[in-house]
Amino acid sequence: MKKLVSLVLTVAFAVSACFSLSGCSQQPAATTGSTDKNTETTAGSKETDETKPAASFKVGAIYINSQNDTSGYTFAHHKGITEAMKQVGLDPAKDLYIVDNVPEDDEKVKQAIDQLAGDGCNIIFGISFGYINAMNEKATEYPDIIFSHATGYMSNDKNFNNYFGRIYQARYLAGIAAGYKSLATKNDNIGYVSAWGTEYAETCSGINGFALGARSVNPNAKIYVYEISTWGDQEKERQAAQVLIDTYKCGVIGQHCDSAQPQIVANEKGVFGCGYNSDMTAEAPKAHLCAAIWNWSAYYATAMQAAMTDKDSFMSKVGNYYQGLNAGLVDVSPLSENCEPETADAIKIAKDLMVSGTWDVFSGVKLSFSGKAGAVTAEQKSDALKTNKGEEKVPAGGASVGDDVIQGSMNYYVEGVTQVN
Amino acid sequence: MKKYHLVRRSGQSIKRLLIYYLIGITISMGIGAVLLWSLGINPFEYYGRMLTIGMVGNKYAYKNVEGLLKILVPLLITSLALGLSFKMRFWNIGGEGEFLIGAISAAIVAFNVTGLPRPLTILLMCIAAMLSSGLLGLAVAFFKVRFNTNETLVTLMLNYIMLYLITYLGKTKEDWNFFLDPKSARPIFGKFPESAIMDGIKIGNFNLLWSVIIAVALIIFIYIYLKYTKHGYEISVVGDSAATAKYAGMKVSRIIMRTMFISSAMIGLAAGLTASASGTISETVTNNVGWTGIVVAWLGKLSVPAIAVTSVLIAILQFGCKTAATKYPSIDSNFADLLQGIILFSVLTADFCATFTLKKKEDAKK
Repeated sequence: MKKLVSLVLTVAFAVSACFSLSGCSQQPAATTGSTDKNTETTAGSKETDETKPAASFKVGAIYINSQNDTSGYTFAHHKGITEAMKQVGLDPAKDLYIVDNVPEDDEKVKQAIDQLAGDGCNIIFGISFGYINAMNEKATEYPDIIFSHATGYMSNDKNFNNYFGRIYQARYLAGIAAGYKSLATKNDNIGYVSAWGTEYAETCSGINGFALGARSVNPNAKIYVYEISTWGDQEKERQAAQVLIDTYKCGVIGQHCDSAQPQIVANEKGVFGCGYNSDMTAEAPKAHLCAAIWNWSAYYATAMQAAMTDKDSFMSKVGNYYQGLNAGLVDVSPLSENCEPETADAIKIAKDLMVSGTWDVFSGVKLSFSGKAGAVTAEQKSDALKTNKGEEKVPAGGASVGDDVIQGSMNYYVEGVTQVN
Repeated sequence: MKKYHLVRRSGQSIKRLLIYYLIGITISMGIGAVLLWSLGINPFEYYGRMLTIGMVGNKYAYKNVEGLLKILVPLLITSLALGLSFKMRFWNIGGEGEFLIGAISAAIVAFNVTGLPRPLTILLMCIAAMLSSGLLGLAVAFFKVRFNTNETLVTLMLNYIMLYLITYLGKTKEDWNFFLDPKSARPIFGKFPESAIMDGIKIGNFNLLWSVIIAVALIIFIYIYLKYTKHGYEISVVGDSAATAKYAGMKVSRIIMRTMFISSAMIGLAAGLTASASGTISETVTNNVGWTGIVVAWLGKLSVPAIAVTSVLIAILQFGCKTAATKYPSIDSNFADLLQGIILFSVLTADFCATFTLKKKEDAKK
């Protein structure tokens, strides 16, 4: 009997060992601070001066998932960091220190920072929103190290900044492609699978940017938003796209979620779509128009260069970084053959306006495209920015809402948007 | 299959055990070395960094000791607590859940009790954590003695209930939810007020947290409790045979409930100390001690000094594996976990081989 008990125990504790270990390695992916997926980059769209590396410059990175991922948010950032390091003359194999699979847990983030600081890192990037408090605290403790935090809102005037991008600009451009498609298919209903709705300014501004882009081409376009309440869940993304197509008769499906499922569903059902994070034409060859994408190396190269040259002027030179099409941080993927012929011209016009800074999405001036391919023109009309409840946010002709609104407090949908769930 | 069967070796030899452990660790690290080498990494360099928990060439080496102690304290206390219930043959695998409810209770005190001096605030946090965890353990024990429920299942399921509870608290942005950071538009757990965050004794730059001292005191206390008190004796008798205990006139139900309460309350204490030391809570606050603690308790053969030593070694292994991976961009924490798993598994196998031996059936019959 005793023998049997001992045998059972040994098995039990071998099993519990496996249990505890699998517990260690399984960090919930849902805690990801944002949903940015594999960024398709055209190599070195923003070239930084090739300078010789400083005596010893080490880059530290704290990731929410693993650097060995083949797609997803961490993958996009890791790709950006390694590309940027090569651009500024650093060797990612030697000069990059990574603590990965760090959950949004202050204690674990602080330990990661201590380790990176101890190893002599000169700049530390944290890519997930929940790292914010730990980074803020540690920035005071290690005044000689630059701390740089993605998607956050905190900073100090010496060594702690935050960075993010005007992805809504890229979404506006994708919206133009969707708008032309809706005109051509004579179906004003456009769907949008979104991680979150008005809860987060990030998703909300993305939806609004996409809607304004679509309506600049097709003023009658209606954007139906289906919120899946998670940054990524392939099954939910699929179902949402199915509902939008079957019930709301949407002919184009936009998205702000992790996987290509909404595009794949559009492909299966014979409608069209605009992806996010990476060019999803390969996943949905008959459906995909173009995708809003990130090119993080644009920021990372700027930040590393500044920190290498003179870390004391980092905050005055780089500061809180919030750039868009102008810096090449965001863009649309190459237009697929599914796009209407006018799309390329219209996107170029809108992009030029935004790059030059003469016009932006959330202002009291709206673009209105007309004309055939080769002769597309954009009319700039003074028109108030109104919510879908009729409330005026920017008067006709007024300047764009502030960046603080776009990044932090935007919690309304513009005209033409309806959330269906 | 028919010819051989497992036989427990007669007599426990510490020497044999240590030799087997050594062989096991050598084999597993050899496997790890091959893997590392195949990834183009010098295994000696890697293991060097791992076994010195990354302190060599580190600008702030003392920080690594602090970090190690921070993961050691909850692991140590939880393993001791689980050992207490295992000694009674009560399969409490609910360390995770008991830890989480303790951390939540400590956070309730931390966020709502302000204006008290720091030691008093932390004391209140720990009491709240111990009571809530203890009552959870008591409830499981009550169901066990009253309705003969399976404690393994009940404690396991409670783990998930508590995990979802804390996840809900961390993700629900509502006015009532004082757990969250009011300044952040996105839901994240807030930071405790200064008076709820543990400090320690400064030794130069090194900060020795009070929780370490409490943990050491607890080792001594539990050792004496098990070895020299009536309660300790009762626990071991119930563990050997509940029927014997009953025959000897012991109130078995009461002993089970009392011990489970103490065991869970200790886990609650670990949670309270951990929450206070980190100044916040999170879904991952347990650092899996509820699971790892089971392994530690059994590796330590339920003996208090052995559990203490084992938890130190496991903490070094955990911390070292993670630290070593930092330096090599191609090595992620999944690899670190894999290596840790291989080492732990081979130690367990060594343990098994040191305890049992294969014998021919005919021999056994004689």
